[in-house]
Amino acid sequence: MREFWKKLKSIKLAIALIVILATGSLLATLIPQGKASEEYFKLYPKFVAELVVQTGLNRFFSSILFLVPALLFFINLGACALDRLVRELRKKNKRRHGPDVLHVGLLLLIVGGIVSFSGRQEGMVRLAAGESVALPNGEILHLIKFSDERYEDGRPKDWTSLVNLEKDGTLLKENVEIRVNKPLRIGAITIYQNSYSAALAVAVSAPDDSVTTLARGESFEAEGVRIFFMTTEKKPGVETGEAQAVLRVQGGGLDGAVRVDSQGILVGRYAVATTQVLSTGLQAVSDPGYPFVLVSLILIGLGTALTFAQKLNDTLKEEKA
Amino acid sequence: MIATIGFILVIAAAAAQVVSLFRKGDKKESLSPWLMAAAAAAFLGVMLSRSVKIGFIALTSTYESLLFYSAFIMILDIVYRFQKKIHYSRIIGFGATIAALVLAAIASSPLLPKEALPPIPALRSLWLVIHVALSFVGEAFFVISFVASLAFLFTKDEKKKIDFDRITYTAVAVGYPIFTAGALIFGAIWAEQAWGRWWSWDPKETWAFITWLVYTLYLHVRLIMKKKNAAPSWIAVVGFLCTVFTFFGVNYLLPGLHSYG
Repeated sequence: MREFWKKLKSIKLAIALIVILATGSLLATLIPQGKASEEYFKLYPKFVAELVVQTGLNRFFSSILFLVPALLFFINLGACALDRLVRELRKKNKRRHGPDVLHVGLLLLIVGGIVSFSGRQEGMVRLAAGESVALPNGEILHLIKFSDERYEDGRPKDWTSLVNLEKDGTLLKENVEIRVNKPLRIGAITIYQNSYSAALAVAVSAPDDSVTTLARGESFEAEGVRIFFMTTEKKPGVETGEAQAVLRVQGGGLDGAVRVDSQGILVGRYAVATTQVLSTGLQAVSDPGYPFVLVSLILIGLGTALTFAQKLNDTLKEEKA
Repeated sequence: MIATIGFILVIAAAAAQVVSLFRKGDKKESLSPWLMAAAAAAFLGVMLSRSVKIGFIALTSTYESLLFYSAFIMILDIVYRFQKKIHYSRIIGFGATIAALVLAAIASSPLLPKEALPPIPALRSLWLVIHVALSFVGEAFFVISFVASLAFLFTKDEKKKIDFDRITYTAVAVGYPIFTAGALIFGAIWAEQAWGRWWSWDPKETWAFITWLVYTLYLHVRLIMKKKNAAPSWIAVVGFLCTVFTFFGVNYLLPGLHSYG
């Protein structure tokens, strides 16, 4: 038993496991990860493709090739940390706890990684201004506005979703901005600005300047005019991908299918033209492992800094002596 | 223009050291630290002026990263030359200057885009700046350890071996916590804020992890082996090659989330 414990906590085992983990990770970056099995048969000769798929090298970081050495490393690190901590606590002076803090941080990081890997959930939603979505905890996220800010050269500068948060009819948060690098945290859920898309819509402008925006499948009726937005199609003869809307119009001097673009047409007293409506892509993430990871990162930082400071202090004292 | 002047100053510093290497005796060459200080100031000045121009800390493009990395290696080289605790031989100083020169040369290459562009939304984060800056500061220490470990492997003088081993070890001992904080800790915090995932096994992340494992290996092997053993020096060499691949190889060979940096 004593011999087994000695082997379990040995630095030599740690060294062997570090070499295995580093070599495996290196291989994993050379083989495309997470693709369908057929893809590997297109990329490599049959024997190599079979080897990659059967051994799990195509999903290395969730395969036993990685998980077994990682688990052994966790056990070795735990045994080593415990052994070292006991030894340091037995000392009457010159205790050096930097490596202990670092090792505990690494152990917690692995725990956080496992919790994150098994418990992380995410979902995507697309919202146009005025639309809402119910969050799993019963709160309602309402998009007021989405803005796509650009630099002068056209490159993206910022994407911002302005939202309200409600629960049971009560406004919890008003005019909150969700931006890239500035997510909204609501309890265990975090909402990220993930993407955006532009959809073709039809704007119906009345003589009093009021505008009604129609999404595909929606209709407008007033003063004997009925406009139904049926579908979109590519403009014939235009290669830039510009789209036009296909409407079914009744009244206003027109009857039947009518095609309209950004130039617009008149239907009775109403100006009808296509417009772009921006939708925001918000990602909701729940990661129960992240609090562990955050604490572990702080411990790792403290542990490495403390180890260095103590070592430096010892060296300076030795030199003085 | 200022970057070009900086580049010329690094060349001059390297040339001054070449002359000094062929001179007999232990007399210290005193010109190159000033040339390198001026070159580092020029590179940091360029970064400052770009920061003002783009309205953000200019450390988001490959060009800016190269200038920062090169400048910090030179600053570190100067610090090592003026400290008196460890014997810092001329050959290590020269090696570090050559590393700074190579990085400055790549930055000066016409193939590398140099336009000062404000960052895209994902890069507009202070966490990113801390992540990148500390990673390069840590890697600058790894440059010193790399040169010292090469010197260890090539020398047969036992006394010099002890000196070179000491420089390698102290450089890794300082660089390792800084690199850990920069590449892994602040990288994970930034990734969580930007993408909602603190670790994605993206090629750059994986290579930073491999680099960290190799230096972890160095520290543990150094702990159990005799100081004159060559194994730790070989590991320090491999570790530095990993940092090079993480910076250049991954950018150009393995596309992923970090394909802009």
